[in-house]
Amino acid sequence: MKNKLSKFFLLSQKINWQHIQLIFALVALAMLVLGIGAPEDGGGAGMRH
Amino acid sequence: MILLLALAAGLIVGLVRAYWHGYTYHISGIRYTWLAIVAFLPQFVAFYLPASRVHQPNWLAAASQLLSLVPLLVFTWINRRLPGMGLLIFGQVLNLAVIVTNGGFMPISPQTAERLIPTSVVQSLHPGSRFGTGKDILLLPQDTRLEWLADRLLPPAWFPYQVAFSLGDVFIALGAFWLLASQGTSPLQPKKKQYHDPITTNAPNIPSSKNLRT
Repeated sequence: MKNKLSKFFLLSQKINWQHIQLIFALVALAMLVLGIGAPEDGGGAGMRH
Repeated sequence: MILLLALAAGLIVGLVRAYWHGYTYHISGIRYTWLAIVAFLPQFVAFYLPASRVHQPNWLAAASQLLSLVPLLVFTWINRRLPGMGLLIFGQVLNLAVIVTNGGFMPISPQTAERLIPTSVVQSLHPGSRFGTGKDILLLPQDTRLEWLADRLLPPAWFPYQVAFSLGDVFIALGAFWLLASQGTSPLQPKKKQYHDPITTNAPNIPSSKNLRT
């Protein structure tokens, strides 16, 4: 158990939090542009009618 | 899709610039990122999630869009000082104006729609009905408010990917591109590849020539 815990802490130390932050910011920006933009490529047209 | 391509292009340019300057690419200064994600959720359910978007009544889809656009405007306003955000906000306001004045949907004319899907499908839709499961509504130009802000722009006919977009979308794409392309040119975390002075590296306690002068 102790061994597993120490492995977990070692792994968490290896995570680069700057990368996590970058990914989080990119996801937020992707959602922002999808949310405020409204281009239409006709992909879903005809599905409802 | 085209907006995500603008983001991807901006990211690539930003990464190349950061590499060129010898810095680690990072996005700095964005505040309340969680707000953008939470604000997008109503639209995700109404327009993107396949299981729910087909069954969404029109009034609920329009309400979801408006419910989402207001907090997204708050998010962009909070981050208005970031590079490119001014363009993005301008595009957002243009899209918001045309969507609000046309019942919560982005208008598209039958003529424009015919470039995207077969004419027979367009003719089976009556004006005023939703254009598929997206954010658009089929409207005749004379019935459209702020028609010049609607989805009326198209790439050349020979272009393999046909998409209708608005003037607001153009500004949003430019702003998103600029935002990501301009990041990563400040030294948050310099790369390991640095110049090592052979004298000071071996003897770190020796004061540098700059310090001796003062």
